[in-house]
Formats: sequence, C-alpha cells, structure tokens
Amino acid sequence: MTSSDWLLRVRGLTKIYGQPDADSLANTGPAAATNICPNTGAIVACADISFDLYPGEVLGVVGESGSGKSTLVQLLYFDQEATAGSAHFTALDDGATDLFSLSSQRRRYVRNHLLGMVYQNPRDGLNFNFSAGGNIAEKLIMAGHMHVGNIRQRAGSLLSQTEVPVARMDQTPRNFSGGMQQRVQISKAIANQPPLLFLDEVTSGLDVSVQARVLDLIRQIQSELGISMIVVSHDLGVIRMLTDRTLVLKHGRIVESGLTDQILQDPQHAYTQLLVSSLL
Amino acid sequence: MANLLEIRGLAKQFRLHILNGKVINALHSIDFDIAEGEILGLTGQSGSGKSTLMKCLYRTYLPTAGQIVYQSNSGPIDLAAADEHALIALRRTEITYCSQFLHVIPRVPALDVVAEPLIRRGATREQALAAARDAFTRLSLPAELWDAYPATFSGGEQQRINIARAVVARPRFLLLDEPTASLDAATKDAVIDMVLALRDKGGAIALISHDAHTMNRLASRRLHLVEGRVQEVIHA
Repeated sequence: MTSSDWLLRVRGLTKIYGQPDADSLANTGPAAATNICPNTGAIVACADISFDLYPGEVLGVVGESGSGKSTLVQLLYFDQEATAGSAHFTALDDGATDLFSLSSQRRRYVRNHLLGMVYQNPRDGLNFNFSAGGNIAEKLIMAGHMHVGNIRQRAGSLLSQTEVPVARMDQTPRNFSGGMQQRVQISKAIANQPPLLFLDEVTSGLDVSVQARVLDLIRQIQSELGISMIVVSHDLGVIRMLTDRTLVLKHGRIVESGLTDQILQDPQHAYTQLLVSSLL
Repeated sequence: MANLLEIRGLAKQFRLHILNGKVINALHSIDFDIAEGEILGLTGQSGSGKSTLMKCLYRTYLPTAGQIVYQSNSGPIDLAAADEHALIALRRTEITYCSQFLHVIPRVPALDVVAEPLIRRGATREQALAAARDAFTRLSLPAELWDAYPATFSGGEQQRINIARAVVARPRFLLLDEPTASLDAATKDAVIDMVLALRDKGGAIALISHDAHTMNRLASRRLHLVEGRVQEVIHA
C-alpha cells in the first residue's frame, strides 16, 4: 500500500469488551438492535468500521450515546486497544505501516508527534496539577522540543491564539471556566502541529455563546492550518457547521455515510431520518 | 457550445421510514442537457420538482436512478454515482449551489463570506477581498454592512451576499434558486447583469425563478416541470 489521495485509511476497525463467541458480531448491530452479545454478554462497542479521510477533510461521526463514536477515536488515538482492524496513516512511513501493529514506543511517537486529541472532559486532556503553560510544554517536550525559552514562547502564542489570557498561563486550568479549559486543551492538542486532530464532543456541556467561540476557534484552526479532523458529536448543528462528510453510527456499526448536507437533507437510513427529524 | 451536463433517466424517490415507509415519487425519468455558456430555466408550480432536481444535480439529494454526466476539468464524471471525495473537490472548485436563503457560518463578516470561496481557489486574501468589495459595490450593498455579520441582515441584503459569494468564485456550473426573490427592480437588474457576465465567460447555469422579468432576461431555454416530469421545453 502506498500513499495516494488519503491521509488516513481505516479498515474493519472493531472493539469488543468481554469474551465474544463466534456469533457475537452477527448477533449485535442495528438489525439486532443491541450491541450486547446475547450469548456471552460481550459488548461490541464498534465493529467493521471502514473509511478514508483525505488531507484537509473534516469528517463528522454522529450517533446516540453508546453508538461507539467515542470508542472509534479513542482506538485511533491508542487510548484503547483495537480488537481487530487496521489503520494506515500517510504521515507515518508513507502509509505503509498499520498503526495497530506498532510497538508501544512507536505508538507514543505517533501520538506525540502526529496526532492531537481534544476530549469532552478537559480533565482527560489536561493535567490539573500543572499550569496551563505547563500542560502545553508537556506536549511540546514529548514532541521533542527541548529549549525552555522557545517552549514558553510557543505556549504563550498558542494560548493567545486560542484567546486564553497569557497572564493566566502560570495558573492551573482547574480554576478556569469550562470554555477556557477547552481552549487550553485545544492549544495543547495543536501544539505539535499534528496533521490529524480528533475532537470528541468538545462543545457538549458548554453555554451556547461559549460553544460558539470554541467552534469558531476550531474552524479558524482548520482553515489556517489545513488540519484534517474527525469530529465526534451527537449535535447535528456542530456537524453541519464543521464537517464535509459524515458517518452515522448505531450500535457500533456505520448505518449510513455521505456528504454532510445529504445526510441532513436526504437521510436514507431509518435511524438517520429519526435523528434528523429530532432536530429542534 | 459543448454540453457541460447530460442528464439521463434521472429519478428521485423519497422513502420515509418514520412514516411507515411512505414513498414520495418526486422526479420521474428526467432527460436534458446544459451547454457551456447556457442558462437553463426550470419552471413549474411549487411542488413540481424544480428544487428537488436542482438538489439532485448538487448531490444534496441522492438520485434514485439515472445519470448526471458532468464534463469536469479532469474529465467526465457521473455526479449521481461519484465518490463523495470527488464531489467535495468539485464543489470546492467548479460547482456552486446558491440557494434562496443565505446559509453561512455564523460570526463571519460579509466581506469574508464572499472572499472565502476565492481564497479556497487559490486567490490571495487581498485579491479576494477586492473582488468582494467590487461585487458589493455593483450590488449597491451599503458599505457599513461590509464588515458586519450577515445573520442579522434583511432578506434582500442577505440575498445579495449570497449571489456575490456564488458569482465571484466564477464556478463552471452554478445552480441558482430564486436569486432575485426579495430585491427591488434596480438591484434585481444588477444581479441579472452579474449572472450574465458569468455566463459570458462560459459558465453554465441552472436557474429557478418565479419572477418573470428575471426568467425572461436570463434563460434562453426552459424546462417546464409538472408533477416531477418535463412537460415541455420552451426556447426563448
């Protein structure tokens, strides 16, 4: 496999918790209306997920709670171990190597140098025992930056880019508002200038005005840096605003994929029609 | 001129699962061509399928059957079946849809809304902003609005921004849905002149308009739709 048009190529990605039997995959999914194997109780969080992400593309992943959408990005960020499947990434070995075959040392390299992640809960992405600047410095040091003066300067410019007052750089994000914590997390995630960024429900739980500023920031980063993104959200408004293409997940399976405007205006699958008709 | 689009046997059916699988047949086996440098009008009563047809051409609606062969800069492609990435690329560089309502990202100033598609096509920010200012002047959009957010603008102001955004990027194929619905006579003619200028540069345009003046000045040929079928083709 050589590098072509895609940046990330995922095939057959599957995650199962517990002990599956031979029929666990057949007995779960949208048709079975469950992701719990009736025989063994194994949970099929996501199964047989395949897609290509192109450079500069923003891909949306929608679905209700438990549909497997967060699991999907956590597997790709190595937060969890995939049960099956492959992922090739042209930023690594020109796409020749399956990410899931890497040693833990190489995985750390990919995570620190080539990927960024913004979690729903800032606690998952930030260390509250460090200052805001220290959190960004941590990511920069792991990505191989060693000069303390440069690191501090870069952390300061990232924070001002994301509209976090630089005067608060040396305070712990614990005392920041939710929106500001999220902006520190975004600064940290893009500190190493990754070609691929994962965003997992980043605006859920924020006030609408704060939500709007976080979304503006993400759009600005995308258009200025051309970063490819996978945006996980249950909010179709966020998906409409940020993404070109969308995958719809239910019970761990892709039930529909298409151009985002087509998914929203001409949904094909019964579940997507229900989701779109539930829009306020 | 050569055909830019050849549409054959295009049909669209909506299956509404949440209404117990109710089926709506919106378009039945539509055939037509659009040439380079041609403005094709789509006419018919509300509900006759004009907008559905337009959305099928842009792939906002997934055609149920038929072909939409488009001569792209990199060769012929069937828009009804093309890979989504190919469509995203065409929408960035060649095909533009201009609906009757402004759907833009909130909190972006009017000038940037119009400049953005040009920047995406490789223009510098200065060039793109200059083109946007020029378009606003021609459409007599009050200068104090240029730096404001269009979400709070009047219908007519939003419409002019919408047209400017669609036309300055000089798409090869433009889908125009009711471009002059909420404009006064003078502004209507300014919009019409802009669209004619695009056509004169070789752009192909599909037009929906209930305004007789707009339709008469723009469309050289019309497809009249009745209940999702082409009833007749009228040459102006």
